[in-house]
Amino acid sequence: MENNAQAAIPGKTLSNGRFSAILNSVGITPTGLIMIVILLILPFIPPFNEEHILRWLVSAALLAAQAIAFDFTTGYINVVNFGFAAFLGVGAYTSGLLAVNLGLSPWIGIFVGAIPAALIGFLTGLLTLRLRGIFAAVMAWFVGLALLGLTRNLVDLTRGPMGLSTPTLLETSSNRPYFYIVVAMMLITYVVLRKIISSRYGLAFRAIGQNMDAARASGINPTYYRVFNFTVQCLFAGWLGGFYAHYFGILTPQLMLTARTVEVLAIAYIGGRGSLWGGAAVAFPFIFLIEGLRSNLTELPGLHLVIYGLLLVLVMIFYPGGFAAFYQRAAAWVKGLRGK
Amino acid sequence: MKEEALLKEPFLVVFKRWITSAGGITILLAIVVAIVAAIDAGPFILVNTVVTGGMWALLSLGLSLVFGVMNIPNFAHGEFFLIGSLTAYFTFNPIRLYLKDNPSPFLSAIAPLLGIFLAFFVGALLGVILEKLVFSPLRKRSRDQWVMNSFLLTVGISVVIINNVQLIWGANFRGVPNYWNVDPLNFFGVNLSVDRLAAFLLAVVTLIIFWYFMRRTQTGRAVRAVAQDETGALLVGINLNSILSLTMALSAGLAAMAGASLLFIFPAYPTAGLKPLYVAWYVVILVGLGNVSAAVVGGFIVALLQTLTSFYVGTGWEDVIPTAVIIIMLIFKPSGLFGSEVKGIQEK
Repeated sequence: MENNAQAAIPGKTLSNGRFSAILNSVGITPTGLIMIVILLILPFIPPFNEEHILRWLVSAALLAAQAIAFDFTTGYINVVNFGFAAFLGVGAYTSGLLAVNLGLSPWIGIFVGAIPAALIGFLTGLLTLRLRGIFAAVMAWFVGLALLGLTRNLVDLTRGPMGLSTPTLLETSSNRPYFYIVVAMMLITYVVLRKIISSRYGLAFRAIGQNMDAARASGINPTYYRVFNFTVQCLFAGWLGGFYAHYFGILTPQLMLTARTVEVLAIAYIGGRGSLWGGAAVAFPFIFLIEGLRSNLTELPGLHLVIYGLLLVLVMIFYPGGFAAFYQRAAAWVKGLRGK
Repeated sequence: MKEEALLKEPFLVVFKRWITSAGGITILLAIVVAIVAAIDAGPFILVNTVVTGGMWALLSLGLSLVFGVMNIPNFAHGEFFLIGSLTAYFTFNPIRLYLKDNPSPFLSAIAPLLGIFLAFFVGALLGVILEKLVFSPLRKRSRDQWVMNSFLLTVGISVVIINNVQLIWGANFRGVPNYWNVDPLNFFGVNLSVDRLAAFLLAVVTLIIFWYFMRRTQTGRAVRAVAQDETGALLVGINLNSILSLTMALSAGLAAMAGASLLFIFPAYPTAGLKPLYVAWYVVILVGLGNVSAAVVGGFIVALLQTLTSFYVGTGWEDVIPTAVIIIMLIFKPSGLFGSEVKGIQEK
């Protein structure tokens, strides 16, 4: 899943043959391709083919996809969507309710659910993204809280804290097919967002994220690009929410809590902001570490969250580039060794 | 300077200008709404608003102060509230148990205050530790995108504190039934417990002391100078680091004090700080980021909104209605009701 940050710069690309040209155009390096192949055969390798570990893998891939979508906004236009989990929840609840009340197939519902999430995201963005980053972050948070409150209180519709049972995508009880679905969704998220980033839109996003006034002076309309970016992120959040609804089969307002957003945020930042792939790369080892801690140290609940928080603080202060920057530095170092 | 200029104008002119500004209209509207609601539903609306409003004011004041002076949008502000209520619980509860066997009127009158003041100091200490351990290193390393980065830092701090509290003390509610075990007083036919009255009086006294400190003392002036212009403050010989630590300490201390004073309503619990955090942020966004004195007014306005919501719409809607109000308000006045007196906030 590694991207090539230099993909846009000709001369540095590894364009030998058509295949790698295609790979390059979707932002996947040879190393990334190897990682994806490993990921795809993982469910057949012994310790990973057990059902409970497959469940971890599904959660990890879902978190990875969320981290990619999250980084699309934080890493490029430098706006933190603090209501991310709520937008995901909108998608999940829309798809779930349509399936429960109107009998709509979950396969269609997943896509339909993304629309209201994007719409609310669009309106929130329109309202807040005229303002500076922190207002947008806090207002997105408020919108998220309001959505959470609505979900909790509209008991007639959502069944509130009692939970809404939703039909699952497949009849099977095995987690393996779900893993391939979510990995496919993760890859689609990555490729689509990477495509946008490598277009002139991506250039505008970076310019706005680095210095909004300079961007405005160069003729970029910051509000337009920021609202566009925010809406796309919410669209993907809603889409991934649809998968959540029809994988777990139960929806509670818990899924819209701020803590969920913080989890995605921590992963995206530890992975490295402005890289898209960083969060996805760290999501897998992280979920294993955390689930391992959670199942082995049941007398210490919350320890994994302490680790999240501490890592977030340490990365923010001492290594702002996160894992992606570390990887690039290591790769450059290896190349230097080879050169000698 | 500004105050002198204002004094020269006739009072009516100043008053007219103020009353037609967004802030003035809101305050007027809030008072009218409060009176109408009090007539319609009963005077308890006023009492509830005033009592919780005082504590929301203390909380938002601290949040606003840290944003105005240090440019940190503090997401961990609720955790100071939590630390305050924990401190008060662990101070007050042993004394309460001791008093059961050895009644002493003096000690039972003074014990809650002891807990509350101790909470202030523990909160302030935590604030200084965070400033030295977390914000100062980041400030030294990089000041690019400071507002967003420090915001995310406080998110991390909040997660760490909440879960450490859970690890150490478990997910138990630690509350006290009341601070002062005396019969409630009767105001206009409303029963008002002494605890609530004390919380309100404490808020008022603290606000007055705080106002005096900021306006009349050398240190308070230095804090305001840093808020206006950091470089300028350095040039005139203000010790920036100590002012920043002091600001953090004050903000955290006030939040902890609010937590301690409200222990009888909000028991200490790992996520007890979340609700106060939302409220403080509602207030600060409503009145404008970094505007310290308006945060006090905002505290009462949000308290009124919440009281009205829980009475007329139902409990559980306190998050939805204020959000809707704030969003509608932001459409018309993006910089907040009272604008922002602090330069440079909008730019960062």
